[in-house]
Formats: sequence, structure tokens, C-alpha cells
Amino acid sequence: MSLNRLVNKFEYALFRHRAVVIFAFVLATLFLLFKATTIKLDAAFTKNIPLKHEYMQTYLRHAQDFGGANNILISLCDNSGDIFNANFFDTLRKAHDELLYTPGVDRVLVKSLFSPSTRFVEVVEDGFAGGPVIPADFVANKAGLAKVKENTEKAGIVGRMVADDYSCAMISAQLFEVDPDTGKQLDTIGFANTLEHNIRNKYQSDSISVHIIGFAKMVGDVANGAKGVLLFFAIAIAVTSIMVFFFCRSIMLTVLPIACSLIAVIWQMGLLSVMGFGIDPMSILVPFLVFAIGVSHGVQMINSTGKRVAAGMNAKTAAQASFRKLLVPGGVALLSDTVGFLTLLIIEIGVIRELAITASLGVAVIILTNLVLLPVLMSFVKFSQRYKEHAAAPTPKTDKIWFALSALATRKYAAVILIITAALFAFGYMQSQQLKIGDLHKGAPALHEDSRYNQDTDLITKRYAISVDYLNVMVETIPSACTEHSIMAKIDRFQWLMENIEGVQSTVSLASVSKSINAAFNEGNVKWRVLPRNTQSLVQASSRVETSTGLLNADCSVMPVILFLHDHKAETMERVVFAAKKYAQELNDEQTHFMLASGPAGVMAATNEAVAEAQQPMMWYVYGAVILLCLLSFRSLRATISVIVPLYVVSVLATALMTWLQIGLTVSTLPVIALGVGIGVDYGIYILSNMTPMLRDGVPLRQAYYEALKERGSAVLFTGITLAIGVSTWVFSALKFQVDMGILLTFMFVVNMLGAIVVLPALAAFLWRKK
Amino acid sequence: MRKKNICLTALFAVFCAAAMAAEPADNQPQQADIARLAEKVLLTDIIDVNQQSLVAVGERGHILISNDGQNWLQAVVPVQANLNSVFFVNKLQGWAVGHDASILVTTDGGANWQLQHYAPSTDKPLFDVYFADKDRGIAVGAYGLFYRTEDGGNTWQTEFHPELLAEEEQEYLEELAETDPDMYEVERGAILPHFNRLYADGNVLYMVGEAGFVAKSIDNGLNWNRLEAFYNGSLFDITRTAQMTLITVGLRGNAFISNDQGQSWAALILNKQATLNSAFSDDKGRLYLVGNAGTLLMSTDNGVSFKDFSLADGKAIVNGLLWRDQLLLTTEVGIKTINLSELK
Repeated sequence: MSLNRLVNKFEYALFRHRAVVIFAFVLATLFLLFKATTIKLDAAFTKNIPLKHEYMQTYLRHAQDFGGANNILISLCDNSGDIFNANFFDTLRKAHDELLYTPGVDRVLVKSLFSPSTRFVEVVEDGFAGGPVIPADFVANKAGLAKVKENTEKAGIVGRMVADDYSCAMISAQLFEVDPDTGKQLDTIGFANTLEHNIRNKYQSDSISVHIIGFAKMVGDVANGAKGVLLFFAIAIAVTSIMVFFFCRSIMLTVLPIACSLIAVIWQMGLLSVMGFGIDPMSILVPFLVFAIGVSHGVQMINSTGKRVAAGMNAKTAAQASFRKLLVPGGVALLSDTVGFLTLLIIEIGVIRELAITASLGVAVIILTNLVLLPVLMSFVKFSQRYKEHAAAPTPKTDKIWFALSALATRKYAAVILIITAALFAFGYMQSQQLKIGDLHKGAPALHEDSRYNQDTDLITKRYAISVDYLNVMVETIPSACTEHSIMAKIDRFQWLMENIEGVQSTVSLASVSKSINAAFNEGNVKWRVLPRNTQSLVQASSRVETSTGLLNADCSVMPVILFLHDHKAETMERVVFAAKKYAQELNDEQTHFMLASGPAGVMAATNEAVAEAQQPMMWYVYGAVILLCLLSFRSLRATISVIVPLYVVSVLATALMTWLQIGLTVSTLPVIALGVGIGVDYGIYILSNMTPMLRDGVPLRQAYYEALKERGSAVLFTGITLAIGVSTWVFSALKFQVDMGILLTFMFVVNMLGAIVVLPALAAFLWRKK
Repeated sequence: MRKKNICLTALFAVFCAAAMAAEPADNQPQQADIARLAEKVLLTDIIDVNQQSLVAVGERGHILISNDGQNWLQAVVPVQANLNSVFFVNKLQGWAVGHDASILVTTDGGANWQLQHYAPSTDKPLFDVYFADKDRGIAVGAYGLFYRTEDGGNTWQTEFHPELLAEEEQEYLEELAETDPDMYEVERGAILPHFNRLYADGNVLYMVGEAGFVAKSIDNGLNWNRLEAFYNGSLFDITRTAQMTLITVGLRGNAFISNDQGQSWAALILNKQATLNSAFSDDKGRLYLVGNAGTLLMSTDNGVSFKDFSLADGKAIVNGLLWRDQLLLTTEVGIKTINLSELK
């Protein structure tokens, strides 16, 4: 009973120095509000990467030589369908230069027709000729353009730097994570805006369209869409406020829980800012979740206080009593959320860790704002006579409903409920096994299919042989391996085997380029498109390839095989990675190792694997935390089971819903299930914490449940519906990501609520024997 | 006696070890991979076997067979070398040759192939093969590579034909044979031009190659007569048109015709810069020239004038034939089919 004494002591101190408490809260809130206003949207490529994953170790090992995976592709398309005109080339050159001098861009790796490394070779009677595709003396007249077109074909860059049908030309670049000049982290969102203003707006015209894709642009677009999230927050807050008012019929009782929940959000944002974090666009929904969980607890508090005032207590006594009554169950619920979210820290992906901190911080502060500040504030409320009468008025209709509902706690009905639940669980479980890891759609799944970004992705994949979805298999071998026929032949074979895998659009490696060069050396005769066995000939072929092509390092001890993929859908990635691993295993020997992976799709493959690996442990940890805290607070296995089982069924059903909605498990959707547990656990704990003392005193189960419903049922039902209505407006969001989250959260708010008031008593009916 | 045996055994072991060290693992022939994309990558030659089926060969030991010119089946081939040419002597028996001096034989119309000759250490490709009957054949390739069989390919002997050298080269070699035998061997293996293509015109066998090389033989290649030079670039194919005109094609759009069995040649003005890889006619007397950069030219007047049907994708066309009113082309991106009706 030491916990009780502690609560009593705390309560005594709190309510004795109410003014001090409020003053302290006001100060803290002002300070954190100031801090919160400085918080920035912040996204970085590396945050989305599981840096400890073996693929990423390969990636990091070679990032110095081969660049990273943070690419930007800018395609300029001429609306006439033919790029060979003076205006287009002028614009392309300007855009190329503009990108070259944009901070954050690795200048060496800016590639387009205008980059000096874009060269061609050709065969003439007396040997070899070659030069830059755009000659130094280029003039954009008919002859000059015809020459460039000819050189483009000779250089073999059609499909890469120029669209297959010559309607577009590409500028590609890689971004620095950390600017080598300033040492500063790249401002991804700022960079995306720069692209929009300095490239798209500047060079788009009636005759030329500009299409930009790449991680940075995607995040920029998500961040822009995320600004609209504020509007949806406002709508959700308004809906919640109106609903709360109808629930309690008192302006003060409406304002206080809403205000306290908003204070929780302010604190959360302020603390994040103090700790030096920003808000990732993918975590933008977390503040709303904090608000929602806050409201859920706030409503319990006003409900409890209101009922006591109606019973004749004065405001202070009522608030004090509610505090005493709810601190433990509310605290346990929030603490289990906090611990649950903190367990996400074990997943070694930056954004998920940030989310873990953001979310756990948010729910932790609710303990202070809604379980401490709220009752203190409420103790000052002057309850009108009308309110008291209204609240005290008997509610025979509602009571009747509650009584009818309490029949669920009898075994007859409980059995039916449990059978239905079991059936749903079985069905959900089967569905949830189909959950795909990774993205299920082309382009960026966080954005709508008809968004500019995804349309640009579509255009670029259609018109070029390449996309940003490429995976590099790094061949780590001995120095000067490019002069060893046996090693080059192995690379060539691996490349060919991979090219045959469905989903691989095209491939390139030093081996394939060397073969073409060998043919070029032999009068352009394709019959010579082989790797010469003779070392001198092989050197002749491979030494013409410069390291700037990204096909080899300085001593050619590392050579990537680049696999351009059709898309990065979960099943494509799975198939390609599976094949690459299989063939790598077959071909690896002491000298040569085919290592996965680099390139954007390589990063994605690693992320998918990390997410898949994290899924199970995350569930274990989240549930572990909740179970432990329930056991500690209820000191009853039966009570714990009654809370956890409905929660778990809902988790499984939510996963099934994700499968059904074709939402893949990714870095951004992985935490949703954990968050769902967080928002669902409240209901059960509130109901059961009301029941357990009664059950201990020998009150029959149905009676105890009926009393709990009368006391807290309306608050539970109300919260679930209110929050569900609030998030359901998200289906109108400009962000696909928010739409998906809106559906999932609506589902979880409603179904968790149903789980607590339907499944929980049914389980209890079998767990508590009739006395 | 016993002692000597031991010695021999020891010596043999040393030789074996040396031989194994000198032959790295990738010098062993490896079976070609059956690949989904085999019909979409480089194919170099195609042949019509007895008007019943088609056999095409290409890179990585790919051999494709088809009965309808549309659906292709990949044959089982014991080697991954690029193949350059295929020749059938009857509807069942045929040979394919290619890199690593590979010679393959089939006796079941192309479904299964056995390796008759494989010499990766030569580092020389074979470019063409011709059999006068089912026993007697020759295979030719880069740097004057020349093999002959008299037993259907069970054994192949190299041949060196000094008569194919220019007079001063012959003298140089003779001199070298006396002064520097080692150097003589090296030069002998490299002094001859690449033999790019054989063409049997009745009893006369023509061979074209590097640096304007054209030779003819009337005894199945035992003795050759090198024709007077008329061009210094490489020639890749030679054929006879329906009107008995000889035409040879080569580097950078060069083509020449001769109406006197190769005594004199006249250049054709084609206005093409791309190398021409092959020339072939069909039974209606149409003449086709194919080459790099998608070049496809057709003449219906014995090569007097050509119509340009070059393919827009610019992919190299290596060879082709007419099959049931369809032009089947072997290109660097696999088989391409063009309806004859499109060539108007």
C-alpha cells in the first residue's frame, strides 16, 4: 500500500500549493512554447538507413569511392518530342550549371550531356577517334546539333542521359550528406525547395518541362504536404472540442482537457527542440497522436470530476478525488505507452529512433499535463447549478444500455463474443501473414499516385532505360582485378544472370563496358564483344574506363555491377535480392566477393530487411512493457490477460488491414502498430482498474462491469468515437501517407474501444469464476 | 626398367601440375546458362535448316532453335563462348563456331550440341565454318586461324596458308624461319589477316577478311588464290546475287561488286557510314545489306539501287535471312522480325 501512501502524499502537496503548481506550469509552458516555435522540419537521407546492416556496411565502405545513394535526377523534356534544338540545349546547359553550383551537390558527379566526362569513342579506318559528346566548339545550329546527336549514339548514353525517344535529356547528381566545405549537415528540405525554385520554376517553359525525382525531392514534397497537416490538426481539434462540449455540457470542462492536451504537444515540441531534434516529415503525425492520447485521459478526468461534483462534492474535493483515483491507472497506461515507444529505440534506423523519442516524450508529458495539471486546474472550476442538475439527473436510458451491455460479462454472451473474436483473429492472422515488406507501389508511397513527384517518376521510368531505383552489387576483389580475365568473366556472368531476373531493367559494369570497348577496338565489330583472355588486350579495353564512371575504384579492386530495376516494389526487391545473394554465393571465391549492396535500391533492400527483422522484436518489446506494467499495477494475471488479449487481436487486425489496403511495412509504417498499442491500452486499463477493487470485494462480475461502464464507459466510448472522427478527416489529405495513417488510426481508435468494452468483459467472464 | 618408370611417373606428375597451374579454372568449358533473355541479346548468325527449322547462334554459347520463326527454344550447349557462325550440312548435322576456337557439333538438328574443339589459350575467335559434305570441313577465324577436318570434326588440324600472304610478307617469314625460329612461330600466328567469312559459290569457295582481303579456292580451301587488292578496310561478307554478281561488304558502309568472278571490283555509293556486317539474297532475287547502327538496305535490281529501311533504334544488325515472307534479323538485341510487306 506504499503506492497509495505515495499518491496521497503527492495529492496533498499538489492541492495545497495549487498556485505554485500552476505558476510552474505556466512558466514551463511559456519557455517550451518559445522553444517549440523554433522547431524545424528536418530530414536526412542517412536517418532512413539501417547503418548497421551488412549491406549498409558495404555501402559505407565504398561511399568514398563510388558516392552515396542520395541521388537527384532532373529530366528536361522538350514538348515537341525532340530535344535537338537551340533553345533546349541552351536551357539544358543553364540547368546543368545551376545544379553544379547548388550547395550540397557533389560537383564531380553531376552528369549530363554537358559534363566533360560524357565522351564517345568511335572506330575509323586508321584506328580510334573520340571526344566529348558536346564538342568544345559546339554551336547550336543544325550541323552542330546533328553532330551531338551522332556522338550521343556513339557514346551509348541513349536511355541514360538522353531519353530513348530523344524527347528528354537528363541531369543527374549526387548529394553530400555533410557539406565538405562548411561541415554542415545537408538541409534536405531546403535543398528540395532550391531545386523547385532555381531549377523547375526557372527553366520550365511552354516548350520545356522539368521533372525532378530523388530522395531529397521526395522528402521536400512530403514536407510541403505536411504543412497541410496543420489544417487537419485544426479540424481534428475543432471536432474534438465540439464533441467534448456535447459530452460534458460545460465550456470550462471542454476547454481544460483540450488545453492541457495542447500543452502536452507544446511541451513535446519544446523539449524536442531543447534536445536539439527537429521533426521528421514522417513523424509529423506524432504530435496529433499525443493530443489524442491526452484528450483520452483528459476526458476520463473531467468525467470523474463531473460525476463527483454532481454527487455533491465541491470542485476541489472532486478534482482531488479524481486525481487520486485516476493517477495510477492513467499513469500506468501512459507509462506503458512511454516504455513501449522507447523500445522502438532498438531498431537501428534513425527516423524510427527519432520517432521513439518524439512519441515517448509526448506521452510522458501527458502524465504531467493531464493527470497533474488538469485536476489542479479543475479544482478552480465553478460548477453552475445547471451543470450539477444536469449531471446529477438520472440517466435511465444510458443506464439501460449499459446494463444490457453488461450482459457480455455473462458466459452465455461471452462465449459468442469470444468465438467471433477468435474467428476474426484467425482471419486477421492469415491476412497479416501476407503483409509485404517495403513499398508496394511505384514512386514514393508517401505521396499520392497523381502527385507531381510520382508522375515525374513515371515519366522518367517510361522514357529512359534507367531510374533512381538501382542496386549496386559491389565486387570486392584483388588489386588490378580488371586485368584478370577469370575475374572479369565472373563479373560478366553474374551480371548476365542478374539481367535475366524479372524486374531488372538493364545492367552495367566494367565488364560489360570493357566488352563494348573491345569490340570498338576491333573495328566496331560486335563479334568481338568479348572479354579478351590476353592481359594486354584486356587492359586496353578496361583502362579506357575512368573511375569517374563509377564502375571501378583507382586500383580496380572494387567494381560495382549496377542493376537498374523497373521499380522498388516489395516483391521486385525481394526477387532481385534473393537472386543476387544466390548467384553471389555460387560465384564467390577466395579472391572475389559479390557484396550487397549500394545504390538507392540497395539502401532500400537493407531497410526492408532491417524492418522485417525489427517487426517481431518490436512487438515483443512493446507488449512486454505493457504486460509488465499491467502486472505491476493490477497485481493480477487475469486482469492483465483481459487487457492484453483484445489489444493483441486489434494489432493483428490492423496488420491485416494494412495488407488489405496494400500498405507495405516500411520505415514509416513500422511504428504504427506500436503506436496503436499505445492508443489502445488506455481504454482497457481505465475500465478494468475500476472493476478490480470491486471484484476483490466480491462484487459479481456483471455488477462490477455495469458499475465500471456507468462510471467510465461513456468516457471510453466517447473518446474512441471522437478521436476516430478527428482522424478520419485525414483521408482528404494531400499526403498519401497521411491518408493511410488516418485510416489505420481511425480503425485502431474504434476497434480498440470496442475491444475494451466488448471483448474485455467476455474474457473476464471466463477468467473470474462465479462466486 | 622399374626405376625408369618411376622417373616417368614423377615427370608426368610435374607436367600435370604445371599444366593445371597454367590452365586457370575459367579455361574449362562451362555449360551455357539457359536464360530468359537469350533471344534478346547479341545473336550473330541464323540458318534455315532444310526449310523446316531455324537455328540462330549468339553470345555466351546461346543457340536458339525455332520451327516458326517466332517461338525460340534454347539448345543445350556445353560452352559459354560467344558463337559467331552456324552451318548445317543436312537437316540433322551442323556445326557452330566461335570464341576460344570453339567448334560445336549437333547431330539432332540443333537441340543438343557437343564440343569438338576448344582452345581458349589461343585467345582467337573462329568467325566462320563450312562443310563440303558431312566429313570434310574448314573453320576460319582471327589472325589467319584455320582448321580442317576430314572426319566430320572428330579431329581438327590447323593449317597455315602462306599463299594468302603478300609476297613481301612471305619473304619476311621465310627469312625469319631461318634466323629466329621462335619469332617465326609468333609471327606465323599473327601475320595473316582476320578471316571473317566463307562463301561457297558452287565449287568455288570465297573468303573475305581484314584489310581488304579476298581469296578464292577451287579445292575446298586446300589451295588459295588471293585476289588483287581493291580496298584497304575490312570486309565482313561476300555473296552472289541472283544475277550472278559478286558483292562484298565491309567497314564504314563500303560495298563492292564484281561481274567477273572477282577480277575487278567497283565501289557502290551507298551514302552510309556504318559498317556493313552481312549481305544476303532471297529466292526472289532481292538483295539485303545489314550492318551497324540499324542499317538495313534492300535492292530489287541486283545492287544497282538500294532502298534504306534502317531501323530507328540504331542497334547493330549482324545477319539475317528471309523465312516465309518474313525477314528475320540477328541483331545485338536478339531476333527481329520484319514483314516483307513493310519493306515497300
